Formats: sequence, C-alpha cells, structure tokens
Amino acid sequence: MDLQEHVNDLIAAYALNCLDDTDTVQVAEHLAACALCRDELRDYQALVELLPLAAPDADPPARVKQGLMDRIQAETSPTVQAKSSAWERLGNFFRVTSPTWGLASLSLVVVLLVSNIFLWRQFTRLEVAPQPDSLQVVNLTGTDAAPDATGMIVISLDGDHGTLVVDRLPQLDPQLQYQLWLIEEGNRTDGGVFSVGHGGYASLWVDSPIPLADYDAFGITVEPAGGSPGPTGDKVLGGNL
Amino acid sequence: MPPDPEIDFAKLSDEALMRLIVMRRSEALGALYDRYGRLVFSLALQVVRDRETAEEVAQDVFYQLWQNAATFRPEQAKLTTWMTSITRYRAIDVLRKRRSRPEKDSLEWAEVSPSSLPRSGDGPEELADLLLQQQRVRLAVASLSPDQQAVLSLAYFQGLSHSEIAEQLNQPLGTVKTRIRLAMQRLRELLKEDS
Repeated sequence: MDLQEHVNDLIAAYALNCLDDTDTVQVAEHLAACALCRDELRDYQALVELLPLAAPDADPPARVKQGLMDRIQAETSPTVQAKSSAWERLGNFFRVTSPTWGLASLSLVVVLLVSNIFLWRQFTRLEVAPQPDSLQVVNLTGTDAAPDATGMIVISLDGDHGTLVVDRLPQLDPQLQYQLWLIEEGNRTDGGVFSVGHGGYASLWVDSPIPLADYDAFGITVEPAGGSPGPTGDKVLGGNL
Repeated sequence: MPPDPEIDFAKLSDEALMRLIVMRRSEALGALYDRYGRLVFSLALQVVRDRETAEEVAQDVFYQLWQNAATFRPEQAKLTTWMTSITRYRAIDVLRKRRSRPEKDSLEWAEVSPSSLPRSGDGPEELADLLLQQQRVRLAVASLSPDQQAVLSLAYFQGLSHSEIAEQLNQPLGTVKTRIRLAMQRLRELLKEDS
C-alpha cells in the first residue's frame, strides 16, 4: 500500500482489533507515517472504549462479592502478607528511586534477592501455593533505533506480573509514548504504555491476561500517546524469555 | 482495620476509592464493586456466555484492581475504561482457550428500555455520568441495522477478525468489512453529535 494513500476504510476495524494480519500490517505501516490517520484512530479508539456500556445488563450473584472479599481477607493473613509486602517494597523502591540509579540499582536488588533465596524460602515456606525458586529476569537490549537503551523485566515469583525498568531511552515528543508488547507465538498483547524523563529512565508495573512467564518474548515500540492495538512504530528494545 | 463510621464510601469518587484501596481499605474495594460489579459482570457474561465463568472473570478483575491499584493513573484513563479493558481481555482469553463457537443470542446488544434509564441520586458524579453515557451508547447501537449489530458484536465481544466473522456468518468478506466500517462510522457520528 502506498503510504500516501490513507487507510480510512480500515481504521475503525483496526481500532476494534478485528483486521486480518495482512491488513493490520498495512494499516500499522501507514499509521506510523500519517498523523492525520493517527488522529482518526484515536477517535475510533475512544468509541471502542464505550462499547462495553452496550452489553446487555446482568446482575452478578452476591457470592461474587463475598468471594472477592474473602479472597482479599485471606491475602492479608500473616503468611501471605509477608510475600505481598516484600514485592510491594520492591515496586515502591523503584517508584521513588532517582533515575540515576536506574538499572544498576535494580540489578543490585535482584542479586541481593537471589543471594538471600534460602532466607526467602524460609520466610515464605508457610504459604499454601508452591512457588518457583527465584525471580525471573528478562534482559532487553536496544535496537538500531535506540542502541544505548537497556532494560529488564523482573517477573514475580508466581509468574503472574512483573516490573519493567528501562534506562537511556530517548525522550519522546508529548504525542508519542513507548508501548510494551508481550509476545506469544507471534501474537502481540499490550503490556502498557509509558514515557521516560530526561535520563531515559522509567519503570512500569506489568500485568497481562496470562502469566508473564508464559510469553516467548517482549518488545517495546514507539506509539501514539495512549498506545495502539498493535505495534506501529520503531522497535527500540526487545528480549526473549 | 476497623471501618470508619464517618466515611460513606458509596459517595466517594472513583479516584478517592482507588487511593483508599492502595492503603488496603477493603471497604473501598467493596464500594467500587457495588458501583461497577454489574458493568464488569455484564461484559464478561456477554463474552463468555456462561454465568459461572463470568463470575470468575468478574471476581478476578476486581482482585486485579485490588492488587494493582497503585499503578492506576487517573490522568491516563478513566477507571471504567481500565476495568472494562481488563474484563474484555480476560474474558476473550477464556473464550479462546475454550474454543467455543458463539451462540446466536450472543450477538445481541442491550435493549433500550425504561428500566435501563439512568436513575437520579444513585451515587457520585461518575456513576451518574456512566448511566447517562450508557443510555447514549445503547441508543446509538440500537439505531444500527441487525446485520451491523451482529458483525460489531462478533468483533467486539467475541474478538473475531474480519475473515472469522465472514466464516461465522457465511457472508462474503467484503460485506463484513463494509458492515463493520459503516456501523462504526454511524456510531461515531451519533455519539459525536450527542457530545
């Protein structure tokens, strides 16, 4: 498709994420180069966000709320509290740490955590569910678009979520953001959008529909602010699990 | 932590409740569930078409909200957008793992009836806005032709692609593409006019 030729007929379906693969690639390539079509995409994305309001009403039974409240009460019991607070402390540390510490700080924490794994096991041995032995760390390396950039994803012990930390990524124009992609058998799932400050540093909590440990690879691309249904811009970081 | 008798959680804004959830106040999660539990469950049920599975999805969505409240950024997205996105992703994921074909009644959208009209004095501003917006969207969807509603439902609720929808409905691919495009254009016009 000629990049000069707009893709108006396909943008609505792109926002709905119902294009077939070939069309998705064509639209993504065009969007990367066309601000006009990106504006139109944002309009349709806002429309897609309204569609759940038109689902037929159905009342959940009372047991759903009861089960939810029981579940979080169980979580705050002493044994599980120990696990939650440790992971929260890691997240809080990176939220407040200055950018200059960046990845070096994360590496240090990971090394300390792994080196204390024996103590950690003792700490959590009363937990009901069995856990893997250590945190999984996926290193991300910069592409030609951002050769100095570096990053890592630390996956939680249960594999369900993680923290992304990046450093030395170029600062983007306000209308653009970085977007993390979780890749499984070639399918890309949105892992969240983020921006970096002057030092190119950022951290992001990563949650996904399936355990993070089940993905094959991770990638980060430049996208319109707010993110895209599929990758459209340059890939800046990537790594395999 | 004992409940604070002076706090009426039902009247707090979404943002205030999320801040309280970060502080591990379970009453705040309960209040958000009372506010949006129906929205989340309705969406989950429309996707998975099984009440028990929809219950699991709905409970899981609110549990994720409890776990990840600290990452919520109100300046980036409304809470309802955040919640419905998670609900849809999770429900479609369940659906794909189950590999079941959509049933005929799963193509339906909400009916516009007096019972779905917004009620006044139900809670904070967000809830009133949501109910008004819900009515606008339902009216707009109801104005689409049945064929347009069907393809839109298969794309949005079932997560099917153009070619999968064509196969499902036994219609030419071009017809499906046109119906989706015209449906979305029509909704865009209607909801833009209203706003």
